Amino acid sequence: MGVGPSTKETTLHHFRDPLAALLGSDDEFELSGVIVAGISADYAGKSFTAARIGAWISAMNLDGAVVSMDSWGNSHIDFSLLLEQLHRLRMPAVGLCFKEEHSDYILTSRFKGAVIDTSKADSKRETEMVGENTVTPMDARKALAMLKLTARKQT
Amino acid sequence: MNKAAEIYKRLLIRAYQIDKVYFGGQTAVEGKALCLDSSAAAAAAAGEQLVEKVEIEILPPGCLGREVYTILDIIPVAAKVLGRLGEGITHTLTGVYFILTAADASGRPLAQFGSSAGVLKDKLKLGRPGTPGEGDRIILCQATIAAGAGFKREGIMAVHRAADSIIQQVRDCLKGLDGKGCTEEHLYVEKPTPGRKKVVLVKLLAGQGAMHDNLVLPIEPCGFKGGHSIIDLANMPLLLTPNEYRDGALKAMT
Repeated sequence: MGVGPSTKETTLHHFRDPLAALLGSDDEFELSGVIVAGISADYAGKSFTAARIGAWISAMNLDGAVVSMDSWGNSHIDFSLLLEQLHRLRMPAVGLCFKEEHSDYILTSRFKGAVIDTSKADSKRETEMVGENTVTPMDARKALAMLKLTARKQT
Repeated sequence: MNKAAEIYKRLLIRAYQIDKVYFGGQTAVEGKALCLDSSAAAAAAAGEQLVEKVEIEILPPGCLGREVYTILDIIPVAAKVLGRLGEGITHTLTGVYFILTAADASGRPLAQFGSSAGVLKDKLKLGRPGTPGEGDRIILCQATIAAGAGFKREGIMAVHRAADSIIQQVRDCLKGLDGKGCTEEHLYVEKPTPGRKKVVLVKLLAGQGAMHDNLVLPIEPCGFKGGHSIIDLANMPLLLTPNEYRDGALKAMT
């Protein structure tokens, strides 16, 4: 596995994604679509992708966005650039990612928004156990509750 | 919404529970038993130049003491019965999942920033959305990639293609199953719901190379064939309908 084994989402995860399941069945939300985008190796690519997603979301006339990422390390830059972009667009957004011991440095220096930590081990490090630090149904419920609060605050 | 659009936006997923997996002469699904062609692994390896060997093992629930190579993916078996991905009817199996692992023939570990190679019980957290549950059976596919090819996209692609050819045999059996015999049925209809807040789910996925890749919109749910690599798409965002996503539009290559 790539970066890193415990955070990677498998094909089975995508097939029964708790975020899609919950957003699709909630009484308050309508899931309009799922945007998938790749994480680039260089900063120019990361910034470009964040801007393109922002433009798309802006054109879709949405009320909110949930951003989920199954990677860590320099991928936290892609994640925070996108949340920053959505913040600029005044789009209520909630993010979910694995926060290892050093990621607060990247995440909080750029964006002080709603981010749910999907790490489950006390060590806050890559545990090399497939599935351990991925989004669970409980994480998804937290994200939805947080999005509802964020949306209310901004309207 | 008019009638034609309503049909286009309907997705029915039928699940069939499997309680027994065994090897036999031909891949078949009969009742709650899945028989796997014992020659499928050798045939899959023979079809790929960069894959030296594929070994299949059936692990009953609780048997996680097995030493495995780096875990590349955990794959459900799902097949399109009617319509394209995201619409129509899909059949899927529950109670059994494929785990694909791979190693480079030169002995170089196939991993970066942490490795999932080792004893399965130490490397797999059961019961997560992306992993089998405690009562599920595992079909372990262990592949050996030609020396040096494990760190190239072609090598990783070849392994996934080989595993997909084995899974396709099961998919072909699923297509013929009687709808009445399913154990679960889920109907998803995409329709406008006035008054609700419209939201989007954004998935940021690995797209940096070799093991850091994902395929979008394969022909079969959770399949390999016909999928577009997110690297080849230059990591550009792509919009999927909720039903396409539910129907296995994303194949993890990691």
